[in-house]
Amino acid sequence: MTTATGGHDHGHIHPPAPQVEEISDYSVLEIALRELAIEHGLFTAEEHLHFTEWAEKIGPASGSRLVAKAWLDPEFKKLCLTDANAASKAVGVDWLDPTGAGTPSDYTHFVVLEDTPTLHHVIVCTLCSCYPRPMLGNSPYWYRSTNYRRRLVRWPRPVLSEFGLIVPPEVEVRVEDSNQKCRFMVMPMRPEGTDGWTEDQLAEIVTRDCMIGVASPKPGRTADKHPIHKARHPVGHEPKPMGVAE
Amino acid sequence: MSSSSKNTPVCRFKVGDRVRIKDQSWLFYSRVQLYARGVEGTIARLNYTDLVAEDETFNVEGEIEQHYIVQFRQQDLWPEYAFPNDTLQSEYPDRWLEPLNNSQA
Repeated sequence: MTTATGGHDHGHIHPPAPQVEEISDYSVLEIALRELAIEHGLFTAEEHLHFTEWAEKIGPASGSRLVAKAWLDPEFKKLCLTDANAASKAVGVDWLDPTGAGTPSDYTHFVVLEDTPTLHHVIVCTLCSCYPRPMLGNSPYWYRSTNYRRRLVRWPRPVLSEFGLIVPPEVEVRVEDSNQKCRFMVMPMRPEGTDGWTEDQLAEIVTRDCMIGVASPKPGRTADKHPIHKARHPVGHEPKPMGVAE
Repeated sequence: MSSSSKNTPVCRFKVGDRVRIKDQSWLFYSRVQLYARGVEGTIARLNYTDLVAEDETFNVEGEIEQHYIVQFRQQDLWPEYAFPNDTLQSEYPDRWLEPLNNSQA
């Protein structure tokens, strides 16, 4: 069909497609709200920039550290399960820092969900995209997709299997739909083959997906890589209609 | 998040109580999912006391209420669900819960 330059031998050249992504209604709303807040002196543009830069660079490292610590220290694990906000401070996360209003999470009631040999947790927010951002940073794009949100509550096992996680039928799958002011994180089970590991080694295998609950930690698995399935009918390789000459 | 309301929080349930999520009307905004309305579950945890979202969103000085985690059996939410042990948990303020026989209220 067409080539990269857009020329294809019928006497004219197609202009390249515009390289502008459509801006969503929510982006427009965010810009409007932000500019209004700056105009009214709620915060300055510089403060906003400073805060955004800080918030954007939070990753899941604190969550990984929290789980690794809990695997090694039963007392700390108990604290995670009874007072997760206090436990967060041990890995350098104060849910009320730095604004005193709980940002970058909108709410600050933090709960850690413990997996056991008979129970597997997975988190979702069907209403929007609630996520334990102080611990895990910004959520991955698929966590915010309506596809994940609407399907996980109803068909959790098929959705988990799409992530490559097959939960045995005898293990209870518990979906935690965070619809109000609690923010949840999964504490997965420590896998076999990690005896004698240090906290650093353990933290490496507790990836973001393990703490969402769509993956389980394994020795050697240190990144959340999802399989990319090649398109069966890729664009530009449409079969020719019947009867068209080569 | 705090509020200027000073009422004694409404807290009718304890862990293990059976409840039903009310199927009641709301104005413009609610955080109670349609899929949970009218469904029976069990109180799994008492969380915190705070304004209910339906009031907070309009900056209304409403009443402070206890918020609970309610656990549902997946088969109670979706009749065709195949795994009897699977569960789903979500959070509701007191006013959205209706006691079933074993609760005093």
